[in-house]
Amino acid sequence: MTILTVALKYLRGRLVASTLTAVSIALGVSLVVASVLLAGGIKEGFIAGATDYNLVVGAKGSPTQLVLSVVFRMDLATPNIEYTAYRDLQQDPRVETAVPIAVGDAYRGFRYVATNSAYFAAFPWRRKTFALAAGKFFADDPPSDPTYEALLGAEAARSTGLQIGDRFYEGEEMAEYPLTVVGILRPTHSADDRAIFFSLPSYWGMNEVARGMAVKPLTAVLIRPKRMSDLPSLHRALNVAPETQAVLPSGVLLTIFNMMAVAEDVLKMILAIVGAIVLLYVFVSMYSATMERRREIATMRALGARRATVLGIVLAESAALAAAGGLGGIVGGHAVAYLARSLLGSSGLVTNPFLFDVLEPAVLAGVILLGTVAGLLPAVLAYRTEVAENLAPLS
Amino acid sequence: MGAQSAVVLRDVKKAFPLRGGLGLEVLDLEHLALPAGSCTVLRGRSGSGKTTLLNLVAAPTAGTVHVADTDVFALSEARRDRFRAENIGYVFQTFNLLSALSALENVMLAMMFADAVPQHLQRRHSTGLLARLGLAERLAHKPAQLSRGEQQRVAIARALANSPPLVLADEPCASLDARTASEVLAIFLAVCREDEKTLLLVSHDEAALGGADRVIDMSELNRTEARKGST
Repeated sequence: MTILTVALKYLRGRLVASTLTAVSIALGVSLVVASVLLAGGIKEGFIAGATDYNLVVGAKGSPTQLVLSVVFRMDLATPNIEYTAYRDLQQDPRVETAVPIAVGDAYRGFRYVATNSAYFAAFPWRRKTFALAAGKFFADDPPSDPTYEALLGAEAARSTGLQIGDRFYEGEEMAEYPLTVVGILRPTHSADDRAIFFSLPSYWGMNEVARGMAVKPLTAVLIRPKRMSDLPSLHRALNVAPETQAVLPSGVLLTIFNMMAVAEDVLKMILAIVGAIVLLYVFVSMYSATMERRREIATMRALGARRATVLGIVLAESAALAAAGGLGGIVGGHAVAYLARSLLGSSGLVTNPFLFDVLEPAVLAGVILLGTVAGLLPAVLAYRTEVAENLAPLS
Repeated sequence: MGAQSAVVLRDVKKAFPLRGGLGLEVLDLEHLALPAGSCTVLRGRSGSGKTTLLNLVAAPTAGTVHVADTDVFALSEARRDRFRAENIGYVFQTFNLLSALSALENVMLAMMFADAVPQHLQRRHSTGLLARLGLAERLAHKPAQLSRGEQQRVAIARALANSPPLVLADEPCASLDARTASEVLAIFLAVCREDEKTLLLVSHDEAALGGADRVIDMSELNRTEARKGST
């Protein structure tokens, strides 16, 4: 028999109370772990979505709105720019890749995104890869002969139930221009999972105003420069132009993260309160267990247990409870993150629920330490048990 | 102090503090020596200081108490705890078994506080003790699964776990029915005799009184009681 075995026997002796205490610790810890993972995942999602291209060129207005609407499809589309802006950029010697984008209406809540095949190309610098789950990519058709072929993001396909070969349109006025599903993408865990892609000629063909325009409209152009050193001059030149603005997505990310920081601070406060409540619960549980057990502690003292031994037993109990709760909480936190990714992954949440942070052993150690601290007062009560006054027939 | 005396108490006093700085004296004992291997029974009316006397042997507060030639009062608290674990077995009136532990674990628990039995022998030693007390079939039972007589036998085995030379027992059978009490007492006395324990027993049981080498009435031993009796 050791201090730890006695402590574990005691915990097992009051199984329901011990389990409830460990579960409450686990809930608190999993809340913290899941929040950290998800907050990190949201930031990671913004970074992953915004870093493939170094510049987003669109109509003058709010830079944040431009990036949110074009890259993350989280805001209303900005006004149009002319297709010639794309042509000019494509021919600019400083530009490695230019990708035209037109963000349009939506089909059952899934945004129409018109672009060309460059959007899906596997450039060596790309973090994101597009792979087909079924069918093919739509063709780069000439403006005079739009194909109306649609490529569905994974979530858009799953949710609408559309299959290869299906024709669809939203609103009676669009019945003349139905889209035909030719491909379905694998999940990318980004906003693209909720998009319906097709060619720019198809977009212009479907849009009554665009049909009559000599110079076709676009929402934005995504730019990757040949050399990073060209980025400032491109940025400056495009901002000087009267019609366009060029936005560095990384700069917009800072704005977004600053807005998130306020929410994160509130979250931290809530988590701190949750932590305090859990600690209090451990304290109350250990306190009542110790009070119930005063007679047994006195008995152990009478049998020759030193004060340090009974102190050790109570502390070992609270440490074991905290360790069980902490481990359960870390596993639970990852499970919540896994569920959240399954449910929210298509909104751009990038998190790997199976990736264990190096900080987690430190979190576990902290939980055990705090749990032990919560058991300190009950342990001191046990420590102070006098032999002579408690040896008497304890009735 | 005689060489054959396992326990010698001298000028042992105990007063419980009262409000106003005064103390309520409950025990004033000039001298008591228990020969090694003897069985001494203390008897007396309720409140005559029997339990207080047992407590003071295990954890003295004033006077001198020698157990196995060691001045218990002179030891530091930690050493006194260890000394108690190795040299004094205690049987409580209310058993005081640890509810979360099995019969075997309750006996092994006492060994945890002393170095009397090597770790690898503790299980075998505890099993043997419980078997001697007729509990070979009850090793894994928790106290709540045992009868009261069985619980007290586990408590006796626990008191003997570290093979202490001295065993103190405070009305060990008072909470048992008469038949169970005499069974438990008989086995307790027999084991103590066999192992040549010095036994100090508080009891009013006829069987205990009959089996004792010496019966002491607290009114003769405790000068506080004697003073009460003369007023």
